[in-house]
Parts: sequence; C-alpha cells; structure tokens
Amino acid sequence: MSLPNIVTIRELSKEYRQGEINVVALNNISLDIAQGEFLTLMGPSGSGKSTLLHIIAGIDRPTKGVCRVQDIDVTKLNESRLADWRNQNVGFVFQTFNLIPVLTAFENVELPLLLTRLSGKRRREQVNTALELVGLAERSRHLPRQLSGGQEQRVAIARALVTDPKLIVADEPTGNLDSGSAQEVLSILQLLSRQIGKTVIMVTHDPKAAAFGSRSIHLEKGELTN
Amino acid sequence: MTIAGFIVRNALRNKRRFLLSVSSVAMSLFLLVTLQVALRELTNPINDEGSTLRIIVRNKVSLAQPLPARQLPTIERIPGVAAITPFSYYGGLYKGDEKFTSFAQFAVDPARALDLLSDARVPPEQMQAWIADRTSAIVGKMTADRYGLKVGDRMPFTGQIYPCDLEFKIAGIYQGTADDRNVMFHQKYLDEALGDPGTVGTWWVKASSVEEAPLVTERINKAFANTSAEVRAETERAFQLGFVSMWANIKILIGGISMVVVFALLLVTVSTMSMAIRERFRELAVLKALGFRRRELFAFILAESFGLATLGAFFGAGGAWLLYRTLDMPKLTGGMFVVFEVTPQMLALAFTIAAVLGLLSAVAPMIGVARTSVVQGLKTLD
Repeated sequence: MSLPNIVTIRELSKEYRQGEINVVALNNISLDIAQGEFLTLMGPSGSGKSTLLHIIAGIDRPTKGVCRVQDIDVTKLNESRLADWRNQNVGFVFQTFNLIPVLTAFENVELPLLLTRLSGKRRREQVNTALELVGLAERSRHLPRQLSGGQEQRVAIARALVTDPKLIVADEPTGNLDSGSAQEVLSILQLLSRQIGKTVIMVTHDPKAAAFGSRSIHLEKGELTN
Repeated sequence: MTIAGFIVRNALRNKRRFLLSVSSVAMSLFLLVTLQVALRELTNPINDEGSTLRIIVRNKVSLAQPLPARQLPTIERIPGVAAITPFSYYGGLYKGDEKFTSFAQFAVDPARALDLLSDARVPPEQMQAWIADRTSAIVGKMTADRYGLKVGDRMPFTGQIYPCDLEFKIAGIYQGTADDRNVMFHQKYLDEALGDPGTVGTWWVKASSVEEAPLVTERINKAFANTSAEVRAETERAFQLGFVSMWANIKILIGGISMVVVFALLLVTVSTMSMAIRERFRELAVLKALGFRRRELFAFILAESFGLATLGAFFGAGGAWLLYRTLDMPKLTGGMFVVFEVTPQMLALAFTIAAVLGLLSAVAPMIGVARTSVVQGLKTLD
C-alpha cells in the first residue's frame, strides 16, 4: 500500500515581472509527493525548480494554483501563520549552509527551538540528538568557521531536523561541497527519508546526487517534462 | 542560548565597529551634557536658603550709579525690613592676577552683613576680629584654598572701578554659602579711601518673611519715588536674572551646538545600524525561513540599536556625571565654575536622546527587512 501524499500541487503557476518582461517561472504544475519520499527536482538554470521548492516550503507565493502540505493550503496562510507553519513543519538546507557565524554549531541547531515553548533541558536534548544523528556531537562547541564545508552542511541538516518537521527541503545542498562531503550529506538525507520517514525534496543539477533520491522529476521552462 | 544572548552576540560580532559606535555616542553625549552643565552654570544663579528673603536695592538709573548713604535710616524704618547693609562692589584686581580676578569683593557693614548671610559660618572670634578692624576682611573658603590664604595674611588689590588701591588683612574665613568665593570688607574702609563721598553701591536688605519680601520691595521703591536718587528694589533672584539675560546669545550658541551634536549623533547611529543590518540581510532571511516572524526580527534590530545608544549614554552621560563629581572644578577652572553639577534632568535628557536615537536608527533597517522577502534575502547572499 502506498503512503499518503504529504504535498499536493494543482495547477500551480508563478509569474513575475523583470523590468518590462513578464517571466513565467512555473506554468500550470500539478504534482503529488508521498510521505517519506526523497524527491529530487532537476532541470537547467531558470527552469523553475528552486521556485517550486520555495513555494512548497512556504517562503514564496504562487500567482495561482493550490499547494497543500499536510492538508494545509500554504498559499492561503498569512505571513505570521506561515512563519509558525514553517517553524513546525519544514526544515531548510541551503547550498551555502547559511549558519549564523557568531553562534556555535550547538546554538545554530538550537535556533529554531527558541521559537517553541520547550524547556532549556528539552531543547538541549533535542539539539544533541540532532547533532548525533549527523555525527557532529563532538563538534557542538565549534563555530562555523572552525568546521569544514561538509561539517557545516551537516550542522545545517541538524538545524533542519531539530524541530522534527515532516518535510525537509534542500536547495542544491551539495553545490558547495567536494565529492566526499557531498556523499556524506546525501547519505544523511537518504537515511532521513528511508529510516526516519522524513519527506525530502532536493533541488540539484547533479545526476549523481539525484541518484540518491527515490524519485526524480525534471522541469524545463517552468513545466514538468516527465 | 537565550534570545537576549543571541542579540548580544549579534551586536558584538564586529567588536571594533561596536566599540567605535558606542564611543561616538558616548563622546557626543558627554559633550552634550558638558554643554548643558556649562550653560546651567553660566545662566542659572546660585541660590541658597536666604536668597528668597534678600532684596537688592540699586539706583534706578543704572547699577553703576551709586546711592546716597543717607537712605539707610529710611529703609531701616520700612515695615518688614529685618536687616540692611551697604553692599558695594569693589571690583579690584588681586595681586598676581594678570587681567581678571575671578572672585568679587564687596564693601559691607560687618555688624549687619552676617544677618543677611545667614548661611555663612564664621568662627565667632574671627567675626569679632573682623568687626573690630576696619582694614580687615573675611574671605570665602574656596578663594582662601585656591590662593593658600590663612587668617592674618594680607590681600592687596588694585582698584579697577574705584580710583583707589586697597589692602585687607584677613580676619576670618567663611564657608557654607552657595558661593564661598567672595571677599567682604568694611564699607568704612572704602569710604575713607575715596574721601568719604557719602555713597554706597547698593543696599542689601533682608525681609522679615518670604511673604513680606514682595511688599518690602514695593515699599522701598515707593519710599524713594520722586527723590533725587530713585531706587529699584528687586529680589536677589530677579537681580541675578538681570545679569543672566546678558548671556542670551551664549544660550543660543550652546543650544545650536547641542542640536548639531545630536544630529551628528543621529547620522552616526543610523549609518552604523544600517551597515550592521545590511551585512546580515541573508541571515535575517534565513531566520525568517526558520520561522522567525517579522515582529521578532524588528525586536532584534530595535534591541540592538537601542542597546548601542543606551550603552553610549551610560558611558557618556554617566561618565560626565562621575567625572564632574570627582574633579575639583572650581580649582580646575580658577573659580569660574563653582557647582558644575550634572543634574538628574540632564541625565534624563541624555538617556531620552539616546532612546530616541535608538528608535530612529532602527527604522530604516526595519523597513528594509520588512520589504525583503525570504527569497530576495537569500539571493542577496548568493
């Protein structure tokens, strides 16, 4: 029996103006993503894959269409509710890691938990669990500049995991890493999907990275091609 | 980690810039407070308890015109007059001072003067010695300390207003008044030196009560109306304010400088905060993505900007308060500034300015953050 859908997208379009030109970033996309799936979004630059990822993650809004995540149409939420929703339901992994340079690895991972009502002790437990999961428990007191690129990205994955979201979105997470580190990061994302049941949506250019996913879809000029 | 800890870490991420910014706020507010203190010192007469009862009687034509000494019994008989003494400004140049002597010398009637100087404390034997010797004087403690004078020393003066040089023997040293700088000597001694002209500079009158003071003023003015020497009687406060009015341009000048200081401060703080936030646009976008709401990001910016300005006020205004409490300003300024006190109102002004600066300097970065979406913020980094 197949797992229920966590993401349901129907007739989703996104247009924006660039000077005098009207750019169509997404054109009438319909897509279902099942719970626990590791979906990779591929396509050339400007194909709309990052825009689609941003809309699913609730950091961008479509021009029209529906994007339901866990039965909530994220396109209908106001800014404040959308922020709460992101904190509870989405974990972000960016290409450039985007850790806060003045905070240690532990504090970077703890950051999303500052918005919750968890006690200090409970927060520490969750942070330690997340850091252990990515194999960086011993580096928790290090600042980002004291970590390698691969370690920084693993801290970013721990930060994405720490609130225990159902959905993890990763925008070219291996784009700035050497092949060894990329392998490690992809393995962790695969593990999160296969063993912990997280739904992972990853944008990538790299077919080798895409091979870690359970399904791959291609976008071109804002449309799905397969 | 707490939210407060996060804000502090962010504020201190560029320590040099933070220190320079706090220092610039601190220095500007130090300057502002110093200007306010100086302005107050120059324009606000020193008052003591007795000043509410004292009345100055001067020639209606001008302060420079003397009054006839024969007016004394007439004023003494006016109801509500508790004490009176001649009070003539000598304005001599003390030996050793090149162009300006920073303390005043007044010719008075010693037996009567201490009734008016109710706050002054002089040992009784020194008081007796002063009354007994018409060439003697009593000296304020600040002046005595400044020049290292003691009882028995002599003080020679060159006349600058009156055509006579005088030398006093110090009979006593007084203290306890709001301005312990002056020298008081015998009116008779001045009269003798001038060939007994039968005049005094002004009369210094003490009313029997605060309620009587305005009535006494009115009665004295009426008593000499249509005489050859009409008088103008006014409270000591009004008399002092007459001098203060001559400082009007200085007040405007200092007010103008203060405004420029505050404006420059605003530019510095706004620029610093804008720079600090612009550098962190990507991080703020990441925080938004993680679920921080706009109002929480505003609070971070406001807290940082407010904290920076308030810390500057703490060091600037607080430093001025501490410094002027510690320093012996009368000694340092040669007696020009006596009190030089940072009042609670000045501290409140400095902290209010800092608070407003903190708020204003946060506005532009907050607008920037509000206008920038998460996606735009993330793109600024890449």
